[in-house]
Amino acid sequence: MQKKFEQVLMPVATKLANNVVLRSLRDGFLIITPLIIVTSIFLLIGNFPIPGWADFWSGVLGPKWSEWFSAVSDSVFSFTGLLACFGISYAYGKNRGLQAVHASAVAIVSFLIMTPTTVKVGKTTLGAVQTIYLGPNGIFLGLFTALVSVELYRFAIKRNWTIKMPDGVPPAVSESFDALLPSAFVILFFFLIRIIFSLTEFNTAYNFIYTMLQAPLKNVGNSLPSVLLYNFLASLLWCFGINGPTITNSVWSPIFFVLTQDNLKAFQSGAKLPHIYTQQFIDIFTTYGGGGSTLSLLIVMLFVCKSKRIKELGKLAIVPGIFGINEPIIFGLPVVLNPIIAIPFIIVPVLNTLISGFVFSMHWIPYTNGVMLPWTTPPLISGWLSTGSWTGSVLQLFELILGVLLYYPFVKMLDKQYLNEESAAAELDDVDIDFSDI
Amino acid sequence: MKVIILLDQIQSGLGGKEKADTALGGKKLAMGAADTIDKTLKKQDSSVMATFFCGTEYYEQNKEEVTGKITRMCQKMQPDILLVGPTYDYADFARMACEIGYAVETNSDIPVVAMVAKEKNSDTVAQFKDKLNIIKMPKKGGTGLADSIDHGIELCNKKVKKEDTDDFVKQYCF
Repeated sequence: MQKKFEQVLMPVATKLANNVVLRSLRDGFLIITPLIIVTSIFLLIGNFPIPGWADFWSGVLGPKWSEWFSAVSDSVFSFTGLLACFGISYAYGKNRGLQAVHASAVAIVSFLIMTPTTVKVGKTTLGAVQTIYLGPNGIFLGLFTALVSVELYRFAIKRNWTIKMPDGVPPAVSESFDALLPSAFVILFFFLIRIIFSLTEFNTAYNFIYTMLQAPLKNVGNSLPSVLLYNFLASLLWCFGINGPTITNSVWSPIFFVLTQDNLKAFQSGAKLPHIYTQQFIDIFTTYGGGGSTLSLLIVMLFVCKSKRIKELGKLAIVPGIFGINEPIIFGLPVVLNPIIAIPFIIVPVLNTLISGFVFSMHWIPYTNGVMLPWTTPPLISGWLSTGSWTGSVLQLFELILGVLLYYPFVKMLDKQYLNEESAAAELDDVDIDFSDI
Repeated sequence: MKVIILLDQIQSGLGGKEKADTALGGKKLAMGAADTIDKTLKKQDSSVMATFFCGTEYYEQNKEEVTGKITRMCQKMQPDILLVGPTYDYADFARMACEIGYAVETNSDIPVVAMVAKEKNSDTVAQFKDKLNIIKMPKKGGTGLADSIDHGIELCNKKVKKEDTDDFVKQYCF
């Protein structure tokens, strides 16, 4: 059974893991993730989920205090499309063996070429860029621009369309001239694309990509089956030793990124939160303590198991586990290639997804606000901060306990096996090998 | 076939990176990752007779002592083979495994097989690939783990039975 699964899964997983475009998308989003986390903290301070918070600080710091914080959060959340273009083009350029800085610079310029740069206010036309084009709605345009521009840039570089400088010219100068013709090629291409779109009913590339791709994909991604499949595959792959989320994220991350940014923008402006299935929903309401919801597993190990090995590992891994680090369990228990633990390791996140999806769709808990918390934020705290409501923590606690119940029979089975081994070894002679006097 | 497996603190289930100061020890049990290998071994009338474990930092600070003790303990316990790893792409563990594996194979009559991923370990692999049989394995979270474990066990079998390993080594080792 395990072998069969592997024969089917391995080639797909290997292909996905090694695909340079998918890898670059994932890496590209990772480049901008630290910025999102940092600015999220500013956003959270400006909108802390305690009644009277804003009024209290207005009294202390004056009415403009929230603007100070939103200036910081705006600097990232209103430009996620542009930043995605930057991150992805950098990662893709690097993975394609180009000078990533040059590739990325050309991609950003290409993105701006396709962005409308005038705004009509009444009868006057102002030279300005609306952030709607550069923010969450522009993420897919940023993504495609990054991939296409880097690919074109590489095409030119590979054909040696460069101006060769004589020896002795400083590298910075010769590199700059190396980039000249390839940059011209890319810019010319996007110049033509802009003209072509202006002749169609879409008017801009932004409108085309948003209507034809981003909005439909968002609808497909923002659904319970999509998140169920995501969590099922992520856990299943871990059971074979493959880092599941790395594979699943390469497919889903652009969609979840857009959904999360939509909620974040809405939260920032005080509008109604649009989506249930955001990255936060997945990170905060489907698994606790890392992939497979191993915090529930750890609780069983710590409080119910009798074998020395499992108890000791439970003690060592509980603190990292609370903060979402489950490496000691994945490899030490182990979860990897362990058919007994594989069953709850897959079922628990899937069941959590179903329950959380139901609870959110019934509006028993406010939708997640899109604020990206550091991934080490422990459950209960994360449930409250991400929804602004204590009911978020209650759902987490419920699912954590449910996970304990589901893991219990399987971990006990493993515990029994380990206990037998330990007592068999103890019967022979001492289990411990004494290295002290050898 | 009786196998002793050498692991670091993470793979033996004794904690994470923060427990790198775990002193050299061992149990007559298949601990952590060794348990996965033991399950496959048991299907072919073989088993893990003991797991040796050592924190990577502890090893760094007591290299000679650890290497000597493991070599002497192997001679005393007389396993058919010593398996060092699987180390994945943990660089400190891979270096410890190869250094100890090489020392045991050189200074005793116990054959050794190592399992290391190429990622983060290019220096270690370059240094030991001609001195030690190192089975190629995936990095942490990479694809092909079960296959590489099968290859590791098969090479152990071949070495214990003193069969010709040239072709096998060419195909599955660095």
